[in-house]
Amino acid sequence: MKRWFPVARREELSPRHVVHTQLLSQELAVWRDDAGGINAWENRCPHRGVRLSIGTNTGSELQCRYHGWRFASGSGRCSFIPAHPTQKPASTLRPQVYPVLEHGGHVWVALQPVGADAAEPPPPPPQPADGLSLRSLYVRAPAARIAAALLRGYRLVADQVAPVEQIDEFSLRATLTAGTRGPALQFWLQPMSASATTIHGCLDGTIGPAARLAVLRHHNTQFTLLREESERFG
Amino acid sequence: MIKLHDYELSADCYKVRLLLGILQLPYERLELDVYPEREHRLAAFRAVDPLGRVPVLDDDGVILRDWAAILVYLAQRYDGAQRWFPRVDRPDAAQAASLGRLVEWLSFAQRLAGSAGAARLHDTIFEPADIERCRASAHELFRMLDEHLWFAEQQDCPWLCGRDPTIADLACFPDVVLSEEGGVSRLPYPAIRRWTDRLKRLPNFTTMAGVFPA
Repeated sequence: MKRWFPVARREELSPRHVVHTQLLSQELAVWRDDAGGINAWENRCPHRGVRLSIGTNTGSELQCRYHGWRFASGSGRCSFIPAHPTQKPASTLRPQVYPVLEHGGHVWVALQPVGADAAEPPPPPPQPADGLSLRSLYVRAPAARIAAALLRGYRLVADQVAPVEQIDEFSLRATLTAGTRGPALQFWLQPMSASATTIHGCLDGTIGPAARLAVLRHHNTQFTLLREESERFG
Repeated sequence: MIKLHDYELSADCYKVRLLLGILQLPYERLELDVYPEREHRLAAFRAVDPLGRVPVLDDDGVILRDWAAILVYLAQRYDGAQRWFPRVDRPDAAQAASLGRLVEWLSFAQRLAGSAGAARLHDTIFEPADIERCRASAHELFRMLDEHLWFAEQQDCPWLCGRDPTIADLACFPDVVLSEEGGVSRLPYPAIRRWTDRLKRLPNFTTMAGVFPA
């Protein structure tokens, strides 16, 4: 599918960590090197197929847990095979690498293999620099069912339900007062598989440090209610 | 010399080995072959624990038979900094509450053992269990744990009970980190995955079969 999807909040690619996620049934290992470069790879060592997400982020390479093969940040090229320490690994030894970028508060991936003939999809729409990224929530329901639940309205602030408009199959927007500069929330649905989805959200506008935690908790509660509603008729 | 009646693959024993390692306490392992030999059911071990459960700690005649009891004992007796199980004389309301929360997480660890842990024992050593129910309960608990840890990170308190790890973290860690052996995936729980990474990076962290270093 030729488009970008958010897969994590930026700070969740913490130092020496490997994020395990999934997009359209494709498992991904997503990680940041010590220089800040980010990677989104098929979660499968090209050697024996073990999940790379149980491997080690060394800061410049991802090392597979099974036989210690190391793959370089950026290209994904195998840089070292412990069983053959003096040999230079063939350049074809690498996991499938996917385009990845940091945009707004999230990390985005396109399932368009790097090196394929087709160009990368156009970048996702611009995001406000000062938005507040909410806690993402995994839901055992297809994206369409969550979108349908959202379209019934979203409690954007404690005492007001905002209308929600669907922008496309995987993104929606809640705005309290159309046409004005009131608060607005952008939702993105990350299709993990045909039956599971992660909801990501970003709130427009500046939230003061004093209110930040309460705002995050409010939306976490709303997302949790949305999850309960979406999972109820599985 | 501390002696630990131990089974390598037991998550409850691993809780105790984690703390013994972190406190750098030398100890002797008295290993039982729980599966397939079922040595914990033999009369020799029933004399140590009538219920036939591991771990059992024997510290120069002080015998304790439950992982929570052992963790509390070891932390009180050997953790000079009193970091792992804070000891407070005449606690104020806030200190009393934080001690209560710590014990709340010890109970949570017991629930993990009854769900994720039971699913793992079902799949690995064929213990009887309602497997679907165990897995569903494990996911319910993991959702709660992930949410707690996410908000804890937001407040710069990345451990279960605040800025420092305690025996609560050690108690919950084994059944979480081994959950995939019972068919409970942690893919939906990114905050739990970050917490297990942090715990693996503590000084003197020890691994066991199925637990990899970070």
